[in-house]
Amino acid sequence: MSLLTADTIGKKFGGVIALKDVSLTVEKGEIVGMIGPNGSGKTTFINNLSGLYAPTSGRFMFNGEDITGLPAHVITGKGISRTFQNLRVFPNISVLENILIGLHCKISTSLWDVYAGVLKTRKVERQAREKAMAVLELADLAGRHDTLAKNLPYGKQRLLEICRAIVSDPHLLLLDEPCAGMNPVEMDDLAGFIRILQKKGITVFVIEHNMRFIMSVAERIIVLANGAKFQEGTPVEIQKDKKVQAIYLGEEGDL
Amino acid sequence: MEPTLENHGKQTGNPMTFKTVLNHPMFKKTAFLTAAAGCVLLPHIMTDTYYLGIINYMILYVILCMGLNLILGYAGLLSLGHAAFYGLGGYTTAILITRYGFGFLSCLILSGVIALVFGILLGLPTRKVRGDYFCLLTIAFGEIFRLVAQAWIGFTNGAMGIVGIPIPTILGWSIRTEVDFYYLGLILLGFTWLTLSLLVHSKFGRAFIAIREDELAASVMGINTAVYKIIVFGIGCFYAGLAGSYLAVYQTTVTPSNFRLEESCLMIIMVIVGGMGSLLAPIAGVIIMTLATEYFRGIAEYRMLIIGVIMVAVLLFRPQGIFGTSAFKG
Repeated sequence: MSLLTADTIGKKFGGVIALKDVSLTVEKGEIVGMIGPNGSGKTTFINNLSGLYAPTSGRFMFNGEDITGLPAHVITGKGISRTFQNLRVFPNISVLENILIGLHCKISTSLWDVYAGVLKTRKVERQAREKAMAVLELADLAGRHDTLAKNLPYGKQRLLEICRAIVSDPHLLLLDEPCAGMNPVEMDDLAGFIRILQKKGITVFVIEHNMRFIMSVAERIIVLANGAKFQEGTPVEIQKDKKVQAIYLGEEGDL
Repeated sequence: MEPTLENHGKQTGNPMTFKTVLNHPMFKKTAFLTAAAGCVLLPHIMTDTYYLGIINYMILYVILCMGLNLILGYAGLLSLGHAAFYGLGGYTTAILITRYGFGFLSCLILSGVIALVFGILLGLPTRKVRGDYFCLLTIAFGEIFRLVAQAWIGFTNGAMGIVGIPIPTILGWSIRTEVDFYYLGLILLGFTWLTLSLLVHSKFGRAFIAIREDELAASVMGINTAVYKIIVFGIGCFYAGLAGSYLAVYQTTVTPSNFRLEESCLMIIMVIVGGMGSLLAPIAGVIIMTLATEYFRGIAEYRMLIIGVIMVAVLLFRPQGIFGTSAFKG
């Protein structure tokens, strides 16, 4: 059984067809890439998957469970985390607090516990902090846990956003253009980090425009064009594909 | 030494600077104990009942503003109807004590609970109504409350208000003098601070902050933003209910004019001047604003003007408030 099956997903905004009959599967432990020209529906696809939109047709099966159209916070609880194309860390709070908010769905404290189970809550909070610090350690951000998120350099903020998404031990991590605005060195670091995540058992679904990055990191690539799935294959196959080059990569030799 | 959670804040081996001293746990503990002892001993040092009366009103406003700060400073919901919940508490206590012979303690609890219930009810529309529109809704609620209190003469005694609220007694302690009311206020303030501090240092407090910072991202973190907004609004209003109950027995009367829109505005100003998003910061706002109102009592018609000037000055020179978090630097 695949970890994620998208079955003929369609999304219309009024008369605009943003997605039509997109079907794909993601296997456990994979790194899957998604590319496509601007406006081809990549972000719409993961917005539907993560519960920010409800698809107009089709369904998402995750771990054998139908998650189509569930609200975002429920989908996160089921083990799908994501980051955003236009960076959405919580700017005015510390790096550590950002990560702790990412752990929200794993902290079992109820409102009753807050007042009546002070010791239990304190213990849970301490464990949460340890876990958060461990994740920061992984991304080499532990030394800056006290810094306000907005004061981190841009590349580090991107990394922080990924840390915030993975601290809850998701089964599937959705990255929406994680390289946007990064320099080549930061990109290589990020590629290394994604591979570490894969080794830790997280399946990664990544949308990216940067060809060098996506070809090096993804094991399988799905190409979207005009809201429909256009092609699928290994990075090598996609690079050689004349039709993909025509719609997306431009003339031969541009790569 | 590697900075870890354990040694964070202790700054071992670092040169002593003003900031490291301020953050040192020993300093914090000493400061807290000194402040607590000072609060307990205050009425024995300041025996003038006039000044003690002003301090009692300050305590009242601190309780109100700490609740409002939870809603406004932590969750980022602008409520201009806080006086209505204050009033709900005041009228609950006044009516239950004078007509039904309830004890003060049960009145106090019920006042909080009723404010909480109405807070939850008014919080329900936050699901659909956002930002400025929600603020308009809270203004409307505040005005409806005041008008109902004024018009429903059979129940609330209209504009005359409810008078002759008897001396409250808690477990044999009858609260008569300014000093007694000071200690009652202090207990309520301690309760407010303790419960709020437990709340904001839990995952709930973080969820409120996440909603303030970026609601969409908060929902993707697994936070049920609709429910958390209702929770935060209800809990913030609970403390207004407690404060209302205190007001009723302290003033021995409640009238609709105690709970006008101006009161809500004053609370907002106190929170903004003191600083949003930090638990104790509104205290500074309350002290400054209460002293200003008292000092300029003689020129009552210009009082709002002076309050306005103070607020503009704070917003110009320290937009996050005197002790606010940097989130509101603008």
